[in-house]
Amino acid sequence: MIALLDKAPLGVAVRISRIDWGAMSQDEGRRLREFGLMEGCEITPRHRGSIFSRDPLALTVGRMQVIIRAKQAAAIEIEPIAA
Amino acid sequence: MTGAIPSIALVGNPNAGKSSLFNALTGARQKIANYPGVTVERKAGHASFADGRPISLIDLPGTYSLTPASLDEAVTRDVVLGRQEGEKRPDALIVVLDAANLDNHLCFALELLALGLPTVVALNMLDLAERDGLTLDPERLSRELGVPVVPTVAVRKRGLVELLSAIDGAIQSHQPREAVAAPRNDVSLHQRARAIARVATVDETPVRRWTQRVDRIVLHPVGGLVILLVLMFVMFQAVYAWAGPPADALEGLVGTMQQWVVATLPENFLRDLIVEGLLAGVGAVVVFLPQILILFLFILLLEASGYMTRAAFLMDGLMARVGLSGRGFIPLLSSFACAVPGIMATRAIPDEKDRLTTILIAPLMTCSARLPVYALIIAAFIPDRLVGGTPVGLQGLVLFGLYLSGIVGALVVAFVLRRTIAKGSAAGFMMEMPRYQMPQWRDIALGLWQRAWIFLRRAGTIIAMTTVVLWLLLSFPKAPEGQSQVEYSVAGRIASGLEVIVKPIGFNHDIALALIPAMAAREVAVSAMATANAIDADGDEDAMAQSLGERLQGKWSLATALAFLAWFVFAPQCISTIAITRRETNGWKWPMFMVGYLFLLAYAAAGTTYWTAVAFGLG
Repeated sequence: MIALLDKAPLGVAVRISRIDWGAMSQDEGRRLREFGLMEGCEITPRHRGSIFSRDPLALTVGRMQVIIRAKQAAAIEIEPIAA
Repeated sequence: MTGAIPSIALVGNPNAGKSSLFNALTGARQKIANYPGVTVERKAGHASFADGRPISLIDLPGTYSLTPASLDEAVTRDVVLGRQEGEKRPDALIVVLDAANLDNHLCFALELLALGLPTVVALNMLDLAERDGLTLDPERLSRELGVPVVPTVAVRKRGLVELLSAIDGAIQSHQPREAVAAPRNDVSLHQRARAIARVATVDETPVRRWTQRVDRIVLHPVGGLVILLVLMFVMFQAVYAWAGPPADALEGLVGTMQQWVVATLPENFLRDLIVEGLLAGVGAVVVFLPQILILFLFILLLEASGYMTRAAFLMDGLMARVGLSGRGFIPLLSSFACAVPGIMATRAIPDEKDRLTTILIAPLMTCSARLPVYALIIAAFIPDRLVGGTPVGLQGLVLFGLYLSGIVGALVVAFVLRRTIAKGSAAGFMMEMPRYQMPQWRDIALGLWQRAWIFLRRAGTIIAMTTVVLWLLLSFPKAPEGQSQVEYSVAGRIASGLEVIVKPIGFNHDIALALIPAMAAREVAVSAMATANAIDADGDEDAMAQSLGERLQGKWSLATALAFLAWFVFAPQCISTIAITRRETNGWKWPMFMVGYLFLLAYAAAGTTYWTAVAFGLG
């Protein structure tokens, strides 16, 4: 079972295992990397958007909080952090 | 060094506190202009070293790397590489880092250091990092990076002297060296950045607990939206409630000046021009300065506190429904102050179609230039009372409704555009969410002062000129005894022609007359009516004593007044907006389209309002 970030429960830290860079534009991919979202890094999903669609996803990467859309989150595979 | 004044650029990630540092270094000695050819704001200012030698500073747009994703980020790259037209390459860089976000901000810093320019790192917002539970070692960081690192707290002016002397030293001792190949912003760069951040960090406790606690409430899927709505509602109520006394004072001042001119100058053409044209026209607009400043105060506070990004986050879902992104929320909210900076701010939107749509709907956001019109009509026609035992004022409620109509209209238009002429894939939305911060009064005051100055300069130029031209058109040819001067004049005759077109939607001669000069700027509608009324009342003591609102009350029906309000929700009457749209879309096609569709909507909205009101017996 591959877990994707867009379905991940809020408040639980996970590790990025793979990113499907082909599923997004080059610019989007680069911005993800500039935010520090890349294979192997640990993130925590924090908030989902308002009742309008619950779409954007806010997550913490290191000491930073960033917003991405569910579409990009769906291209990010995650795995639980081994205790 | 030669005798030339060294120029130093501030560069860094968004939210590194660059602008606060820039304000702290330069104080009010700033000049905001545009880079030639592009409309990115160029912020420059002056400061001096401890011994008095002057330096010039520029504040570059915040970006994550030297590979730009948007127009303003491209300016940052071009300036630091010396490629920006009309801007010489800076002699030195101050790289601004948020002390609490080292591992991310160091990536860009490493890229900048590789350029080989004299560089000093400002480890900014160190106090907040400490509050966040971080203890850093600036000396260790300096050893790792090979350049001086100066801890700064821009908002308390801490570390500024040290920063300037370090940059002085860096320029003096700089050995020109070949720039090393720019490191790619990828995994290895991030690993290096993280490794450096780790050794420079002495102690660390879990992250930003305070911000997270607030976010849990503010970003709540339902509660967050309620808070946002309440905030906006309070903002628009405050525009009304707080502006009264200062606006009255300004009005009194204009009246005093008019009386003084009447008493001092002999009765002639010049005196009429000053009293009826210049003072009546410009004065009618300048009294709205307090309201505009209150609106800007709120917008600046929301921006500085970090709330604006939360609002964008909350609105993104709704905006995605109509094919936009939360990114567009910030330009659109700025458009409530003025569509021109709002349209300029769309440059941060990476997607072309998303950006075009945002530009086209920006004029639907109720800008501050509409406030004079709304304020005048609402004050004259909407009773000043509370709504059914609540503390909500009816006038404020109507104003809120006008703002809301603009927003709903914009959403509908965006929805249609994104499915027709601006069709394209769903736009992305990626943004950093800054931590909450106490807004600094100095930054806010500086921002307000700059807005006030821009507004007054506009009043002194465009508005003064159009009112004077209008006064001339209204004053000639001289009407024979017994006929109305306003009707008989050149402007009156043009207005009579236009009246035929706007009569079906309930507009009278007054309005037709005001609409033409209001093409220059919406608030001119108010000064135009003031000038026309001043001429009309010429010599009549009672009429002179009445305010413009009172005069309109006697002449317009409620249906007409409401239709006039509805017209201005949509009408694209602002030369500056049309000009900026032309510049931002590189051609006349889109501004022409914008003007066309907005006039159609304005006509339809005013008509519907008028006919509905008449049907309810308000005609």
